Amino acid sequence: MKRPFDFWYIFEAILDLLPYLVSTFMMLILSILGGTILGSILAWTKIRRRPLATGFADFYIYIIRACPPIVLLFLVFYGLPEILLRGFGIDTNHFSQLFFVVITFSLLFSATMAEVIRSAVAAIDKGQREAALSIGLSDMQAFIRIILPQATIIALPNFANSLIVLLKEGALAYTIGFIDVMGKGILMIGNQYGAHALEIYIALGLLYWSITIFLEQVFQKMEMKFAPDKVYRVEKRSEKERRKHEF
Amino acid sequence: MLEIKNIHKRFGNTEVLKGVDLNVEKGDVVVILGPSGSGKTTLLRSINFLERADQGSMVFGDKKYSFQKASKKEILEVRKKTAFVFQNYNLFQNKTALENVTEGLVIGRNIPKKKAYEKAVEILTKVGLSDRYDFYPSQLSGGQQQRVGIARAIAVEPEVILFDEPTSALDPELIGEVLQVMKQLAKEGTTMIVVTHEITFAQEVASKVIFMDEGRIIECGTADQVIKHPKEERTKQFLRRITNDMEYAI
Ligand SMILES: Nc1ncnc2c1ncn2[C@@H]1O[C@H](COP(=O)(O)OP(=O)(O)OP(=O)(O)O)[C@@H](O)[C@H]1O
Ligand SMILES: [Mg+2]
Repeated sequence: MKRPFDFWYIFEAILDLLPYLVSTFMMLILSILGGTILGSILAWTKIRRRPLATGFADFYIYIIRACPPIVLLFLVFYGLPEILLRGFGIDTNHFSQLFFVVITFSLLFSATMAEVIRSAVAAIDKGQREAALSIGLSDMQAFIRIILPQATIIALPNFANSLIVLLKEGALAYTIGFIDVMGKGILMIGNQYGAHALEIYIALGLLYWSITIFLEQVFQKMEMKFAPDKVYRVEKRSEKERRKHEF
Repeated sequence: MLEIKNIHKRFGNTEVLKGVDLNVEKGDVVVILGPSGSGKTTLLRSINFLERADQGSMVFGDKKYSFQKASKKEILEVRKKTAFVFQNYNLFQNKTALENVTEGLVIGRNIPKKKAYEKAVEILTKVGLSDRYDFYPSQLSGGQQQRVGIARAIAVEPEVILFDEPTSALDPELIGEVLQVMKQLAKEGTTMIVVTHEITFAQEVASKVIFMDEGRIIECGTADQVIKHPKEERTKQFLRRITNDMEYAI
C-alpha cells in the first residue's frame, strides 16, 4: 500500500492534527499542576531533614526516576484500577485515559520538580530567612514573602527544561489509547494502512518542534524580565568585587 | 531590663557557651569583644532564638524565658522585642531598600501600609539613604546595605538591637558611615549589644565592655576598665593583637 511521498500532505496532516493539541496541552497542564504540588511536598520534606520522611522521599524519587516512562505508564494503567477497586471499591472502567496519563506524568514530573524546587530554595542564603524571623515574621511568612519569590526565579530555567522533557515523554500517552496529537497521528497512519506515514511523522515532528521553540522563547523572556535586578546583578557585582580583591 | 543567666550551648561535642551571664539596662551599649570562635555570635543568636541554647534563662522586661523550653509564642514575643543586625547584612534581595524596612512593620507588626511607608522614609533618611529608597540590595554598596540593615532593625522599635560585627564585612572606607549611624543611635539612648572589633567605637560609646573567650566572660566593666586597664592576661593579649593588626593595616 506504499504510496509515493506527497509533500503537500504534510500540511493537510498538520491541519488534521491541530485540534488534538488541546488534549496534549490539557494533559501537560494537569500533569504540571499535579507534579508541582507533589514535588513541592517532596522538596519540603527533604528541606526539613526529618530522617524518616526524607528517606521515604528519596526512595520515592529514586523509584520514579529509575522507571522508564513507558513502564510507569503501563504500571499505572493496569495497576491503579486494581488498587482502586480492591482497596477502595472504586470501579475505574468508565475513567478516561486522560486520568491515567495525568497520574503517570504527575508522578514523573514530581520527582524532577522535587529536586528543582529543593535546590532553588537551598540556593537562597538562609540569612535572609533569619533576618525575616528576627523582625517578627513567622516561618511561613518568611517563606512565602522572601524565599519563595526568589526561589521561583532561580527555578525557572530548570523548570523550563523539565517541562520540555515532559512534553516529549508525553508523546508516549498514545500507547494506552490516549488521543492527543501523537495519538491522532498514529490513528491516521493506521486508517490509511501505513500510507503517508512519513508525512505524518514529519508533521508531528514539526508540531513538537514549534511548541518547544515557543516554550523556550516564553521562558527566556520570563527569565530576562525577572533576572536583571534581583538575581543576575548580584552575581555580576560579586564577580567585580572578586576581581577588585585580586589586584 | 534584660538579664541573661547561665546560658549554655553546645554544637555536637564542643561546648560553645559555658555559662554566660549578662545584664543589660535600658539605654546601655554593651560591646562584646573576643577572639574568633569564642562564642560571641552564638550568644547573640541564642538571645534571638536563631539558635536554641541548651540551658539558662533570661528575664526580658517583666517576663522570664527559658532558652531551652521557650514556646513558639514566647520566641515570637522575644523577637518582637529585639532586632538583629547581621555581619553580612542579610537584606531581602527581592525587595527594595524601602520594602526591606516596611516588611517588619506591615507583616511583622500589622501596621497599615501607608503609615509603614512614611516611617520607613523617615528612618532611611535618618541613616542617610534618602535617595536610595527604590534601589535593590544588589544595587547598593556594602555600607549602604548595612545602613538599610540597621534601618530595618530600628523600624520595628525593638527594646534591644543586637549587632553582630556590623562593619567587619565592609571595605575600610565604608566602615565610618555605619559606625556614624550606630553612634547616633547610642546618643539617642537605644539599647544595643554590639559584637565588634572596633576598639575606638567601644571607647567612645560603650557603657559596658565584655571580653569573652572560649565560651565564658573573662572580664567585664567600663571601656576604661577593660580596654585601658585590663586585668586578665588573656584580655591584654587579645587587645595587643587587634591593636597591632590595626597599625599593620595602616
Ligand atoms: N551551626 C554550628 N554548628 C557547629 N558548630 C558551630 C556552629 N556555629 C558555630 N559553631 C562553632 O562554635 C564556636 C563559636 O562560634 P561563634 O560563631 O559563636 O564564634 P564568634 O566568637 O562569633 O567568632 P568570630 O569572631 O569568628 O565571628 C566556633 O568554634 C564554631 O565553629
Ligand atoms: Mg561571630
